[in-house]
Amino acid sequence: MSAELPLADAGPARAWPKRACRSCAHFRDDPDYLEAELPGLSSLSSARAAVRAADGLCLYHDRFVSAHSDCADFAPQAR
Amino acid sequence: MSRVEPIDHNRAAVRQSAGWDELWRKEDWWAIWLGLGIVLLGYVLFANGSSIKWLAVTPAKWTTFTQLSNDFSANWLRYVGQFAAWLAVFSLALSALGHKAREFIPSFILLYLLSVGVFVIGQWQTANYYGFEAPLVALVAGLAISNIAGLPRWLDSGFRVEFYIKTGIVLLGATLPLTLILWAGPVAILQASIISLVTFFVIYFVAVKLGLDKRLAATLGAGGAVCGVSAAIAIAGAVGAKKEYAPIAITTVLIWAIASIFVLPFVALALHLPAGVGGAWIGTSEFADAAGFAAAQTYGDLAVHNGLPGTSDQAVFAFTLLKVVGRDVWIGIWAFVLAIVATTRWEKVPGQKTNVGQIWWRFPKFILGFVIASAIVTLVTADYSLADFNKTVNPAFVAPIKDIRTWAFIFSFLSIGLTTRFRELAKAGAKPFFAFSSGAIVNIALGFVLSAVVFAQHWSNLVR
Repeated sequence: MSAELPLADAGPARAWPKRACRSCAHFRDDPDYLEAELPGLSSLSSARAAVRAADGLCLYHDRFVSAHSDCADFAPQAR
Repeated sequence: MSRVEPIDHNRAAVRQSAGWDELWRKEDWWAIWLGLGIVLLGYVLFANGSSIKWLAVTPAKWTTFTQLSNDFSANWLRYVGQFAAWLAVFSLALSALGHKAREFIPSFILLYLLSVGVFVIGQWQTANYYGFEAPLVALVAGLAISNIAGLPRWLDSGFRVEFYIKTGIVLLGATLPLTLILWAGPVAILQASIISLVTFFVIYFVAVKLGLDKRLAATLGAGGAVCGVSAAIAIAGAVGAKKEYAPIAITTVLIWAIASIFVLPFVALALHLPAGVGGAWIGTSEFADAAGFAAAQTYGDLAVHNGLPGTSDQAVFAFTLLKVVGRDVWIGIWAFVLAIVATTRWEKVPGQKTNVGQIWWRFPKFILGFVIASAIVTLVTADYSLADFNKTVNPAFVAPIKDIRTWAFIFSFLSIGLTTRFRELAKAGAKPFFAFSSGAIVNIALGFVLSAVVFAQHWSNLVR
């Protein structure tokens, strides 16, 4: 898989794209998880800070992405 | 491609929705609720002839152990009351933020006891003589405990650097007249904008010249130019940085920020800078809010103890105006612009639009609390003469809030050290470190020229 995949911040504020990372099985935005995965984050900032907005880690592309990103590799969460 | 982990539906269930629930799911908002709550409680008590100062107890200046023990004997009940109040409000906030009370409570007990110790050393006049100011003591103690003795990671639940510093900043607003923010703000924004743009582009172009990915270059650049680790994480998300880029930026910022806490105040002291000028320089050249407040408060105390012009408050106020008002507020704009660049120039995605909403989503909301606290106190004290303000309002209302703020700052300074485990940080690599350092050196030099030469008069006369 290419690391250069179409991840783009998309859509108006509350209209989430159908393939938004927020609803993707590969997306992780739990603050405790992020602070564990990004060592040093809580020393001078926080995963619960407003500046992070709703960003999280994409485990598929190994990227830090916006929850609003529209992705061609979207995988719906199993319910 | 890298690993794909199984879906954790429990984790998915706690996802942040970026909607109204941000009001209780983000630290910025809780800092506002707690900070403004304390200010309003202080005012209600003051307006009814009472005061919040019973809860705002701090150790008195001391030189002998007899003085110290007498002070604690007389005030032990107030410390118990204060501890209980902090524990109650922080438990409420941190539970809402997703922390476990069974982890937070023992952690905060430890933090409070250490903070009392730090405060006591900070009030020891012999220690002050040798330059051992409370922020430095807190940082050194925290770093020693976490890196030499070691603490279990679950205790981090109570070591919330950002939450404490943001609460302290909102409380700081109550001690800073709104008129001062309006008067000094434009110069702060001008100076901060110059420094932010220059620092960003130096780091960015050096990084790109060294062959680093533009996303890493932008993440490092924003970390140096705007608000340190917070900016790095915001830009990493905005530009879709690789997972390893944010830890590289975090390590680099952390090393520079902690080193600056120890270096900048003593260089400013050696140069005999007035307190306000030193605070402005630190505000221009430090990389993170919590680290910067530690450095600015240290310098304010050092300047006073060494007979330099200005007050401790001047250093903190100048720092706040430069760093918080001048630099932090732009993070959403930086993220928006860099997201556009990333999706239109670095990785073209036809038909996709960058969301302008992130300017607000990423805005450091606690700054609103800082301004509102300032406006409230300015408004309710507007009818008092200066003499009446100094005689009645300050001792019963404003000074106790300043003391409560000092506690919040010490919690934060200690937490920096307690959560910084050097051996656990990601390896930054020579090229990112060199690129960041290039910008940091330019930043420090240009920050000095702007603070101590170009706008020296402005910063040295702040709150005269």
